[in-house]
Amino acid sequence: MKKLLLGALMCLSALFACAQAPTRFQIQGITADTSSGPLGSATVMLLQRKDSSLVNFTRSNDKGVFVLRNVKKGDYLLKISFVGYIPFQKDIVFGDKELIDLGTLEMKAITKELFEVVVKTARAPLSIKGDTIEYNAASFKVPPGSTVEDLLRKLPGVQIDQDGNIVAQGQQVRKVTVDGKRFFGDDPKMATKNLPAEAITKVQIFNDKSEQAKVTGVDDGKKEKTVNLELKDGFKKGGFGKVTAGLGADGNNSRGARGEIKGNYNKFDDKNQFSLIGLTNNTNQTGMSWDDYQDFRGSGSFNSWNDNGDFGFGGGGGRFFMIGGEDDGGLNIPVGGGRGQGYSNNVAAGINYNYNGKKTKVNSSYYYNSTRQVLDALRSRENFLTNGSFKSQEESSQINFIGNHRLSFRYEQMIDSTNTIIFTNNSRLNGGNTSLNSLQQYFQAGNFKSNETTIKNATDVDKMETSNTLIYRWKAKSKKGRNFAASGSYGYVQNDGIADQNSLNLFYSATSANDVIRRALDLTNNTNSQVNELKSSLLFVEPVSKRVFWETFLNLSRRGNFVDRDAFDLAQESGRRIPVDTLSSYFKNDITYARIGSSLRYTYKGFNISGGLAVQRFGLDGKFALGQNPSSFINVNRTFVAWLPNASLNYDLKNNRYLWSGYDVSVNQPNVRDLQPVIDNSNPLYIRQGNPDLLPSVNHSLNFGYNMFNPASFTNLGLNLFYSYNVNQIIYNQQVDPRTLVTVTTPTNISGGQSVGAWMNFGFPLKKTKSNLSVNANPNFSRNLTYINGVLNQTNNDSYRFGMRLDLTPSDNFTFFANANWGVTNSRFSVNTSQNMKIINHTYGGTMNIKLPKDFFINSNLDYRIYVNNRFNLDQRLPIMNASIYKILGKAKKAEIRLSVYDVFNKNLGISQFANQNFVSQEKVQTLARYGMLTFTYNMRGMNTTLKRRGGFF
Amino acid sequence: MKNRLNFLVVGLLWIANSVYAQSTEGMVTYEHKSYWTKINARLTFLSKEEKDRMKLTWGNEDGYGVKMKLYFDEKQSLYTYFSDQGQSEDGQWSWRQDDYLVHRNFDANKLIEHHEMLGKTYLMEDSLVTYNWRVQNQIKDVAGYICMKAETFDPVKNQKITAWFAQDIPVAAGPERYFGLPGLILELDINDGDVVVSAQKVELKNVQKELALPKMKGKKIKVADYNQMIQKHIAESMKAQRNPFWSMRY
Repeated sequence: MKKLLLGALMCLSALFACAQAPTRFQIQGITADTSSGPLGSATVMLLQRKDSSLVNFTRSNDKGVFVLRNVKKGDYLLKISFVGYIPFQKDIVFGDKELIDLGTLEMKAITKELFEVVVKTARAPLSIKGDTIEYNAASFKVPPGSTVEDLLRKLPGVQIDQDGNIVAQGQQVRKVTVDGKRFFGDDPKMATKNLPAEAITKVQIFNDKSEQAKVTGVDDGKKEKTVNLELKDGFKKGGFGKVTAGLGADGNNSRGARGEIKGNYNKFDDKNQFSLIGLTNNTNQTGMSWDDYQDFRGSGSFNSWNDNGDFGFGGGGGRFFMIGGEDDGGLNIPVGGGRGQGYSNNVAAGINYNYNGKKTKVNSSYYYNSTRQVLDALRSRENFLTNGSFKSQEESSQINFIGNHRLSFRYEQMIDSTNTIIFTNNSRLNGGNTSLNSLQQYFQAGNFKSNETTIKNATDVDKMETSNTLIYRWKAKSKKGRNFAASGSYGYVQNDGIADQNSLNLFYSATSANDVIRRALDLTNNTNSQVNELKSSLLFVEPVSKRVFWETFLNLSRRGNFVDRDAFDLAQESGRRIPVDTLSSYFKNDITYARIGSSLRYTYKGFNISGGLAVQRFGLDGKFALGQNPSSFINVNRTFVAWLPNASLNYDLKNNRYLWSGYDVSVNQPNVRDLQPVIDNSNPLYIRQGNPDLLPSVNHSLNFGYNMFNPASFTNLGLNLFYSYNVNQIIYNQQVDPRTLVTVTTPTNISGGQSVGAWMNFGFPLKKTKSNLSVNANPNFSRNLTYINGVLNQTNNDSYRFGMRLDLTPSDNFTFFANANWGVTNSRFSVNTSQNMKIINHTYGGTMNIKLPKDFFINSNLDYRIYVNNRFNLDQRLPIMNASIYKILGKAKKAEIRLSVYDVFNKNLGISQFANQNFVSQEKVQTLARYGMLTFTYNMRGMNTTLKRRGGFF
Repeated sequence: MKNRLNFLVVGLLWIANSVYAQSTEGMVTYEHKSYWTKINARLTFLSKEEKDRMKLTWGNEDGYGVKMKLYFDEKQSLYTYFSDQGQSEDGQWSWRQDDYLVHRNFDANKLIEHHEMLGKTYLMEDSLVTYNWRVQNQIKDVAGYICMKAETFDPVKNQKITAWFAQDIPVAAGPERYFGLPGLILELDINDGDVVVSAQKVELKNVQKELALPKMKGKKIKVADYNQMIQKHIAESMKAQRNPFWSMRY
């Protein structure tokens, strides 16, 4: 009974509600085009009027009829769309009837011209805002250098008359705005005639209110045809730059003022990048940082990864000769590097231009840098012989200058979808000189001075080197994976050097202190050397199946070395140049190299495995002679053939885990200096001698690795194992004359040196986002062989390294990073076990950043190095601390003023100690230590105000 | 002659339309392009200088593309990788692709998603999540279809989503995790071009076999938990100054 009553009540209330006003409505209508024909299958959408949110949708049937049922009352907009028509919009008005019949709704067709040209051909989006139709101008192709006028001429519905007046949709355009703003005065032609078409992304044509209506706020109903041009983002950014200048005082009196200036400027748009950089300082900073380098080179920073023309497997430069790359960066712009020893004044400047087209890419740069370095050093050394030892002391003063001009150019052209060529040129022109004054004294047992040498050397070198490579790549259209590549390259090095060697050697023989043998040397050496290298490589890859690829390659090269050294004695006949045939040499050799190899690769779903074999042949054809006008030559003709196997495995496992392994054999040709059968006596007590019988050294290496990363817990684990074995390793034999203490070194081949090691790393958060700990271990065991005075010695080095890193980032205002590395090396010598020793090498580091109120910041870091060798009582502890306080200036935070103190404890005294099996040495170079500096920086992009964690790629 | 041909084409289309509702079933091939310099510019801990540096160095190499496919009919859709492995352009190098499959059943109001992310594989089963689409007055051509623009906002990843849906394919399906418009979504733009998923080819054909769900394994998760996990990951990574987007789908 109760239920019945309830039901009746409900019925009643429902009836009552219905009678008052309907809660659900039905909207219906008929979609039709302007000629009243019905439009079937039109999309009918019901949107919230305030934000166009989609509430409901339907489609009209064949006769154009649509019905939207169960619509709640609201503020709606009905929108109908149909291909080729301007979307129709209508507000829905709710009345007291449940049925809202909108009748026939007529849709306007989009002008055929607009539809065909803009939407279909140019594929540009059309925007309809009431009467405004806007489209993407970037989709209309105009030749480079065209003006906006040329662009407008292409747009449908726009005409330009002879005087440059614009007529759009039949009406003359009165106003042209750029990004909604007036462009230089009232003449609409100003903008269209002057702006480049490439700068425009969008064109809008609409009826704007008249200027008067805008000022008065009263709509006078007059409309002005207006064209608005929207600029591309890239064109909005003109460029950016940064400049830093600092001045300070040295903490070690009499060393004068310290200063640095550094600046760079970039200008870029979508395709072009232009940049300048300059720096000068006397704070031992020889080059720019990696960040500066990236700002300078822009898109050319790291794009040389596929510019290697030496195809085929194997790693590194081992299988091929490298030109350059010996000192100070070689052909590449020197980047990074720590503060060197001594005191140096540095200057550098560069200009870079990149063009990044779709098919053409150009990177070019010129960079000059020079460094003048002053090294005043005290050195002492104790040498151990099989019976007894001797000591040496040296006091030297050296000034080095080097200036480098570097040019680099890279051109990449995609000819079509299958053919690409890349050309690169890297060149360097440099000049340098050094002058060295040194006094060396040798003491035998009982502190008896046995020798004394006064050296005054000077060198002057001019060098030119260039390396050019052309690579052609082809990939088949018909078969994925079939491709071919060919490369050719030419390298040239020309080196002219003059070395003046002036020395006075006094040999105090053991018998009597008065019986001194004086040997004065005053030599000048002219050395001219050249290297010519031609290389060529071919590569062909054929897909055997979808997962198996067969690769074949051929490498050929021919390298010519030429060295002509003429030595003259100036001492004999008071300044007359007397040729010294024993120290003069002529050397010419040609090395031909050929390698052919093949490998098979299987690849599927991240499992990549490959194996291959190559055979290579070195041919050496050399001619050596001593003397300035030699009549007879020693000929050296050698060929070496080696088989090179290679295997590699890479496995991409689930959930960020990776596994890899590889085996590689590399062959290294002995370097030219070691092959030359001549004597280098630039240091009369340490003479180097070449060996023309040297064989190429062969290195077998095996590695295995595993890596995993858990991005949710920020945990990572890494494991690496490596082993290498040397065959015909090139080592330097030492022969010490026990009476004169003159050391002669000769390179020779030896097999059996090997090393095995591991590297393990585990990192995890102690408290997520607040603190992170990572630990690593690196054991390494190696065996090296050398001859000392004709006796074969085996050195075993067992080293154990363990490290920890702690990152504390408790808040945005404070960060602290600490690291500690402990290392112990046990060296064991087979010849004289009493010389076995243990070397301890620990480093501790810490960096702290504090953000204070009012944009003040504090940054400091400490680097503490400990080196202990008990056998020689060496115990060296070097704490180097830098600290600075800075304030960011201005609202836009573009400027910074900073006060820094480098080496707070004044400990950077250039002391280094080193011990080996047969000697222990100590060196003290007067080096830039404590100094304070006040720097001002202005950065157009704004200063960085977040306390950074350790850098890296993101 | 031309007229007759036109007539023939129209006639054929009409027959096709009436015999079988072909325009509501088929397969779309998309290209999913990631613009990493733009994505990385969203990293809150990088300075303007670092972002510009990245853009200048890598900007013109940007736009890493992966092919994706979508099978659809009126009732359901299935979206996943086009190929079962990632491959270098020349095919000589391959890699694993993170598991990723999105299935929608519009009739049953059910979603099934397979995600490998944050170092784990998840299997999400839940009811459909609807989006508040705002339909815009803009049209453009995508893969030969006239599409209309609609926008929405994803509060989980804080992303502005722009979709272009075909007016004459009346199916609610779409790529990635988006759907629910009066027409098939043929282009998707995440955060003003950070990621663009654009249809390359639309084939109207029978795909009933392809719409069947493959066997999938993973940790069971609900949409709400998934959203919470993503939000936490992004917030934590930003705080720890790590890039959160390497280990999840943007």
